[in-house]
Amino acid sequence: MTTPIAPVAEPTTTPLIPPSQHRWAEVIHRLEAGGSMLPDTPENLMQIIGIYKAYAVPMDFYWRDLLYIAEQVFLDPLPAFKYFPSQEYLDLPNSYAGDQSQLRIWRGGEKAHPELLEFMAKGETTQMPKLLHHLWHDRINMEFAEACMQAMLWHQNMGGRFNDYLASDAYRNNADRAIKAYFKRNPVMLGLYKLFPEMFLEKVKQLSYTANLGLFWEVMAPVFFEMSDIYDEGGFKGVPDAMDFLVNGIFAVAGRPIYHHAFIDGECFEIIPKSEGFTWLYEAALPYVEAVFYRTSPFRGTKSYNAQAGQVPADQADFHYGILYADVFPVGSAGIPPTLLMQDMLHFLPSYLKELYRKHERGEEDQLIQLGVTFQRSMYNVTSAVIQALRAALLYPLDDTDPEHLLANRRFFEAQMDRFLRPEARLGAIQSQDYR
Amino acid sequence: MAPSFLLLLLLLPLAGTLLLPLLPGADPVRVRSLAALAAAGQLLVGLLCWRQAPADLHLPWVPKLGLELELGLDGLSLPLVLLTALLTLVAILSAPADQSRPRLFFSLMLATNLGVMGAFLARNALLFVLAFELVLIPTTLLVAIWGRERRAGAAIRFLLFGAVSGLSLLAGVLAFGWLNAKGLGFGFDDLAQADLSPSAQRWILALLLLGFGLKLPIVPLHGWQPLTYGQAPTPVVMLLGGAVSKLGAYGLLRFGVGFLPDTWAAWSPWIAAAGALSAVYGALNAIAQSDIRRLMAYSSLGHMGLLVLALAAATPLSLQGAVAQILAHGLIVALLFACVGLIERRTGTTSIPELSGLLNPLRGLPFTLGMLLLALMAAAGIPGLAGFPAELLVFEGSWTVFPRATLVSLIASGFTAVYAVRLFNRVGFGRLDNDRAHWQSTRWSERAPALLLTLLVIGAGLWPTALTGWSEATTRSLALRSQPFLYASAPLTTAALTATPLTTVAVAPELLPS
Repeated sequence: MTTPIAPVAEPTTTPLIPPSQHRWAEVIHRLEAGGSMLPDTPENLMQIIGIYKAYAVPMDFYWRDLLYIAEQVFLDPLPAFKYFPSQEYLDLPNSYAGDQSQLRIWRGGEKAHPELLEFMAKGETTQMPKLLHHLWHDRINMEFAEACMQAMLWHQNMGGRFNDYLASDAYRNNADRAIKAYFKRNPVMLGLYKLFPEMFLEKVKQLSYTANLGLFWEVMAPVFFEMSDIYDEGGFKGVPDAMDFLVNGIFAVAGRPIYHHAFIDGECFEIIPKSEGFTWLYEAALPYVEAVFYRTSPFRGTKSYNAQAGQVPADQADFHYGILYADVFPVGSAGIPPTLLMQDMLHFLPSYLKELYRKHERGEEDQLIQLGVTFQRSMYNVTSAVIQALRAALLYPLDDTDPEHLLANRRFFEAQMDRFLRPEARLGAIQSQDYR
Repeated sequence: MAPSFLLLLLLLPLAGTLLLPLLPGADPVRVRSLAALAAAGQLLVGLLCWRQAPADLHLPWVPKLGLELELGLDGLSLPLVLLTALLTLVAILSAPADQSRPRLFFSLMLATNLGVMGAFLARNALLFVLAFELVLIPTTLLVAIWGRERRAGAAIRFLLFGAVSGLSLLAGVLAFGWLNAKGLGFGFDDLAQADLSPSAQRWILALLLLGFGLKLPIVPLHGWQPLTYGQAPTPVVMLLGGAVSKLGAYGLLRFGVGFLPDTWAAWSPWIAAAGALSAVYGALNAIAQSDIRRLMAYSSLGHMGLLVLALAAATPLSLQGAVAQILAHGLIVALLFACVGLIERRTGTTSIPELSGLLNPLRGLPFTLGMLLLALMAAAGIPGLAGFPAELLVFEGSWTVFPRATLVSLIASGFTAVYAVRLFNRVGFGRLDNDRAHWQSTRWSERAPALLLTLLVIGAGLWPTALTGWSEATTRSLALRSQPFLYASAPLTTAALTATPLTTVAVAPELLPS
């Protein structure tokens, strides 16, 4: 007779907190497990890394030209050539790439990316003078970068102290010195400045945001280049790896100073000095994500929303016209989605992404839409990194054993996901691989 | 040119009709190519006939009944023969590459062509009726077998209306022959010279109006049209709207205006009123439709109203306008349905509320929508496109005779722009649905038929003589009323295209303004 063996209970891990009842509970649980809002699939990984690479190349131009505009073009009343950065700015060493960098993120060179230089020379057409490339619109679309800057300027109060500083006397005095120095040989403009000082000050504020965004993207370009290189070497195992790299990158450069210097007749005017202590994470990255990924504006491009019909929220904080909500389909009919950026990225798609697009929908014919959807996925991943970084900075580790702490994390994640409850949000769409 | 060329115009589709079902294998593309070859051959022969008019063909068939194989071409029938050949070719090429039961389908398409072509070539009324009736069988089968979900109802309704149309036409033609005091004869020459009592003329015209009015159709005889146009497969509806319905217009012009001028002139105010009513009714209903095909059906009804108005006025200019309208509408309606067919093939629907954003350059159907826009503009009578000269001639030719009916029709014509803009705004603009827009773009081979029609619509708009030149002499001789100042100030000088006119009756009744 054999003694019946009692079944051995398998060790189970009891969750410390009950499951979320939020509509996006599945995504919240994924975030709590250290994942991203974007599902972890090999194709998603391929898509986001590929598009980061395609994004990084024009971004390498954006940041150089933005700094050129903020520092050199400055208050030029007829800035017809502001999209023609000088060689000095094209050769400007990136602070996070090259041998000279203090914190090297990308293993590549510090000057403008070779693919960018090649495109600037030839464009989609052929080798011809820069002006013809510009007029033919065969170039990098700086208009996109400026639109992002304008979104940041327009929304303003999105955390950090940067915007408050723009209203301070210190800033006004610094700007005043720079304005007077810039127009010292132009009595007409000086006269106008006396008549309409606020107009000039507003323009300088815009240039300060231009510098802000340039400095933000100076960091992001090498991050994306490095991610692409790591992926090409087989380094990332999944979407969470890519997100973690971004989170680590964010923390690595979080303290990078944000400033605005203008160079007038060789003299540097510190309109926002580094000594003010503005940092990359709080004064650039978070406002950028909020203004560009979430909000932007309802009346850019040819598609306008009707405020009288209630299509535009009364509170700017409720704006939802960013890439996380964008309908990628009406290409060319809306400032949302970022059609100009999509056009720029199209020039630098890695071969594996082109191959992927060829297999789906209309193949090469609608690559622009497919890459727009990919960009949307990738920005959900970047936003996930920002959410995780904020959680790490403000709340508790994911492996914390205190249920109270985990509940605090839960409330934070749920609050973030509340922003995707509105029907325009594409969070649901990106959960499916069929969304292309 | 030998009269055998006329016979060839019938033998080519007949050969296709008989031989296609016997083909081994059923590769749709191959069968479609062979059917298109027959239609293209017919078009080629038609063009040769245009270059050099063939002599009339007279072959006895059943002489005791007065039935003879009398074929001929004149300024009225030649453009319609070419239109029918062209639209048959285009309709066949518009069929999908994976057409189900292709041998039977294309055989029936060619049979339809045979009937329509026979009617246009016929110079004998009984032969005309025979051909007219022949059309009904293949078209009913085409609707019944390959139509959409309500095809059975559509086919039955089409058959019933068609049968009544055919029977009344047969009765009218038989009465024409039997009551002719000059003796039995069904040749067009006999009918043109017929000696009928006024009462007999009235009865015969009533029967003819019923028969042809059902075929056109015209309000209140249009009951079959919206359902049939909505349910028939695209190539069939292209042929139905572009060529088959023109049998009614041709019949009214040939038999009504041509052979019964006095009665026609006496009844013309009522006929004009019916035309104006059709124009308004069609346009208003088109505005209210939520399905593109039904919208097109009502639009077609409205445009047939303009045609009837022009026939009622029966001035040289209005009759020229009527022929131009027949040709222009044939091209435009075929183009409209070709575009709608492409939209339906890709999106799977023609429901207006379900479609939007199709102009999206990357995921929509911008090329097809572009052609659709052009077709809608042509239908609305935008200058530079085929619809404009036709409608201009209709209105200019009719307003001196029936100013009120013309004004009403003019307003109705303006409604075309309303439903055209409404349709295009809803279907072309707006948001493309992410969940549905997974279709492929149309291929050039699919676009080609519509593209050909587009070029013709533009060409006819830029060179209106292409619409009017054919029939100038014939319509002038058929005119029942003069149009003094227009005609005198701008005499028509273009040489007649073809043989002598069929009728010489041009007496304006004293009771009517002239």
